[in-house]
Amino acid sequence: MDAAFALLVLTLIKATPLLYASLGGVLSERSGVVNIGLEGMLVAGAFFGVVGSYASGNAIVGAICGVLAATLLAALFAFVVTRFALDQIVAGTGINIAAIGAAAYGLVIVFGQPGASHEVAALGRAGEAVLIGFAIVLAIVLQLVIDRTPWGLRVRACGENPAAAAAAGIDPLRTRFIAVTIGGAVAGLGGVFLSLGELDLYSDGMTAGRGFIALAAVIFGRWNPLGALGASLFFGFFAALQYTLQRSGVPSELMQALPYLAALVALAGFAGRVRAPAADGVPYVK
Amino acid sequence: MGENGAGKSTLAAIAYGSVAADEGTIHVTGVVGLVHQHFKLIERLRVWENVLLGCEPRRGLAIDVPAARLRVRELCAAYGLELDPDARIESLPVAVRQRVELVRELQREPAVLLLDEPTAALAPSEIDAFFITVRALAARGTAIVIVTHKLAEVIAHADRVTVMRSGKIVDSMRVSDTTVAAIARAMVGGDLPTIAARIPTETMPALAVTALRAGTGAGALIEANFEVRAGEIVGIAGIEGNGQSALADALAGMIPYSGDLTFAGTPLFARVSPAARILLGMRAIPQDRHKEALVPDWSITDNATLGRQRTFRSGILRDRARATAFAQSIVERYDVRPPNAHARIGALSGGNQQKVVVGRALESDPRFVLAYQPTRGIDIGAAALVQSRLIEARNAGVAVLLISFELDEIFTLADRVLVMFGGRIVGTFERGALDRARIGALMAGAR
Amino acid sequence: MSRLPRGVRDAVLAVTLVFVVGSIAMLVAHASPLVGFGALFSGALGSPSELGETLVQTTALLFPALGITIAFRAGLFNIGAEGQLVLGGLTAGYVAAALPLPGVAAIPIVLLAGALGGGVWGALAGFLKARFGANEVIATLMLNVIAALLATYIVNGPFKMNGATAGETASIPHGSWLPTLIPDTRLTIAFIIALIVAALVRFMLARTVFGYELRAAGDAPEAAKRAGVDLSRTALVAMSLSGAIAGLGGAAIVLGVLHRFNTALSPGYGFIAIAVALVGNLDPLFVTIAAFAFGVLQSGALSMQSEAQVPKDVVAIIEGVVIIALAGRRYFSRGSDR
Repeated sequence: MDAAFALLVLTLIKATPLLYASLGGVLSERSGVVNIGLEGMLVAGAFFGVVGSYASGNAIVGAICGVLAATLLAALFAFVVTRFALDQIVAGTGINIAAIGAAAYGLVIVFGQPGASHEVAALGRAGEAVLIGFAIVLAIVLQLVIDRTPWGLRVRACGENPAAAAAAGIDPLRTRFIAVTIGGAVAGLGGVFLSLGELDLYSDGMTAGRGFIALAAVIFGRWNPLGALGASLFFGFFAALQYTLQRSGVPSELMQALPYLAALVALAGFAGRVRAPAADGVPYVK
Repeated sequence: MGENGAGKSTLAAIAYGSVAADEGTIHVTGVVGLVHQHFKLIERLRVWENVLLGCEPRRGLAIDVPAARLRVRELCAAYGLELDPDARIESLPVAVRQRVELVRELQREPAVLLLDEPTAALAPSEIDAFFITVRALAARGTAIVIVTHKLAEVIAHADRVTVMRSGKIVDSMRVSDTTVAAIARAMVGGDLPTIAARIPTETMPALAVTALRAGTGAGALIEANFEVRAGEIVGIAGIEGNGQSALADALAGMIPYSGDLTFAGTPLFARVSPAARILLGMRAIPQDRHKEALVPDWSITDNATLGRQRTFRSGILRDRARATAFAQSIVERYDVRPPNAHARIGALSGGNQQKVVVGRALESDPRFVLAYQPTRGIDIGAAALVQSRLIEARNAGVAVLLISFELDEIFTLADRVLVMFGGRIVGTFERGALDRARIGALMAGAR
Repeated sequence: MSRLPRGVRDAVLAVTLVFVVGSIAMLVAHASPLVGFGALFSGALGSPSELGETLVQTTALLFPALGITIAFRAGLFNIGAEGQLVLGGLTAGYVAAALPLPGVAAIPIVLLAGALGGGVWGALAGFLKARFGANEVIATLMLNVIAALLATYIVNGPFKMNGATAGETASIPHGSWLPTLIPDTRLTIAFIIALIVAALVRFMLARTVFGYELRAAGDAPEAAKRAGVDLSRTALVAMSLSGAIAGLGGAAIVLGVLHRFNTALSPGYGFIAIAVALVGNLDPLFVTIAAFAFGVLQSGALSMQSEAQVPKDVVAIIEGVVIIALAGRRYFSRGSDR
């Protein structure tokens, strides 16, 4: 029983950053923007969270910094893909490369050493728990917002048929900008969880591709926040399993690859049977 | 009124406010509503969501859904229309979707209501119902402006007609003071161009379709039995959405089908690829040239070989000289402007693009041509040329299957007319015995 | 400015951004942009040996960039060049180190093995797309990670070679080493091979029927299908070819630079190559030029770090910004106005 409980807790811990990132992805894609740059936003949240904590000595200030950094990054991305209608996949890839480079660069500038930062004031077990709980609450809240509020309806309209939304007097570019930026803020919280929740520092590569798994989680969750919650728990479970089975005979690389393999299998099985928002990934040009 | 490309839709968009004018002003007292030609509806959302998008009734932070439903019902009652507020647009037939679009504009209580090509996708009986609604609206004081190219409807229902040509208004008169011929002349700026003459042909078997079934859902083809002979044009009349696209896609080998399809004595199973069908001599003029027929960024030459790229080759290399010669011959024979085979085809007007698509099909030694809405959205001059070439192909022994939503076009071109409704062929008429009223009734589903 | 052809406009924009973003980043590091860029360019181009190193980086970028070009032109977002490169290097490393190879044929065989390794990895994503319609962006991203894990497992686990340190294969025999072009540099004939591949890719796209159909599939998939192009087969072949060329790049690194396979053989070449392909407007000629430009950045970065104390990651930031700026609408052939 103890082992099962430990596994559950570990699942939640592993799922939380994924959940934040995928919630950000869901919000973005429902409005019609594919956000490949989630990985970069996780990095921004994680790195600047640590920088903020380092500078102020306070983990909460750090968390706010992290979220702000991710939000700004998302706003830049949103601006470029709405105002200039640039290709979303390519711009997102650029965001990732720039963010990861900036974090590596920042490590040297701020901490004087590459690879990892100093240890900083972190959120502790209490903070970790709060973030986990908040993520789940956020999933529920976002589902309600999308389904039941006027703003949610307009976001959905922009994701399905921005021309029709425009005909109804809504500005698809502005709506998409807001959705993507808020999504970035949410993803940033995932990064903060990684560096200040689970640990108390930032290290190169700590996001380990979670931003990409989050994209798969968006699809498996059928572009619904609650679905993303389920998908994140699913992936988190595999990550937790890998950690737990580390000392068994199973090669660690195979265990680490499990979430990604699961994603591939599900991609093959799911494709064609779920429908993305109709205008997902299509730039809106007036 | 005006032919395609005259500027009618642009003028309507300026009046509505979605397009900014470069010069000049429009004075309007009150709100302007616009029902678009291609409905701006969101398929996956419900009727009430589409109608009230942007002015949703609220309760606290959330949408007041019961109030929304009630509002839609109130609007429907006020204007004598029927709608189910909870239905999703994707499940609704075209005529009902138009009602949704209409109600959405009406709830803004417009002083002026613009309707862009409103009857394009309606059956004759639905058109009558539509004009009754419009008349009632006018009686309540709304100014109605209908943008259309359908002369018959203007004569029957409008009070005044304004004619546009080449982006200018050329005439404006009361309908009671004018004639069909006068309006047509104003639209075209001269006499209507003539079309090639038909000559008697000896027809031979070419394409035979038995119990053909394809597609799923609303526009499926349920059962088709007919043949198209070499040297004749068979016209399929019908309202859009009654199985024509499924039929066209099945013939092209784009979707699976069941039943028998025989071409030149060879049975064509569903798995026979589009490439193989092209090799057999089957050609298509697709419905949507921009998406289905052309690569906008490529040159006319490169587009001309699309479909037969494996013929214009020597070994693994493309035979560019032969391709250019072929494209040049199309440009000359079809009066494509500007006459430069290397020009980017996306820069050409719709009419010139369509001429390339048609020329590509007809000049490539076809045995069978499927022409799906061959004159959609092009100017009268280009349309006349396209129709002439189709008749000339028929005269030369090509089997032509024409699918069109414009009854006049069918009547001009077809040797035989088949009427489609609900995925089936519901009537056959020979050229000498075309009963317009009966055909219209069959198109709308009469028995 | 707006009347210049788009390729020129993009190049000017790219160059401007390099200097602007780079300068800002350098100033943040309390370094002078003049000194920083000076160190970067002299470190990349100052002497024949430094030029040689720049061309090594150019080669490492050019192979995956050409692969990406093919995939993108076919309408497929191949973000998996990194994994395809790794698999190519892994395959080449093992074939070279473990199998007895006839003297003269050794190099071609090993290169072919590398191309096969990368090709299979690309084909996997292509198969998922062709058969299941699976989103190739996510598939290739997942396969990147799986490739890295697979390589680590094979090299450290059951196929660990005698005399090999952790994370690598044994050193490959000299018979399989690529001949160098400039003595005392790491520059080998791999550079020449890359140029030849670039010319072949350009020729294939522009002059062959296969290239025509591939471009049609990318530029107008609906029209291509009606024109008899088999979209599934094209996706599979394009992804395989794309992966094969990226894999060739991995093999070139193994045979020419490291003389063994190492799990850390690529500092993200497969991702930077996306930028290279885009800056080159998906035309192999300009992609080659872009590969050289990025090669200058990559090789100059280390000099810049040691001489001007500017962390080499500045280059990554510059590259990211350039990618964002050049993410033009051209690569989006799905929707169209009107």
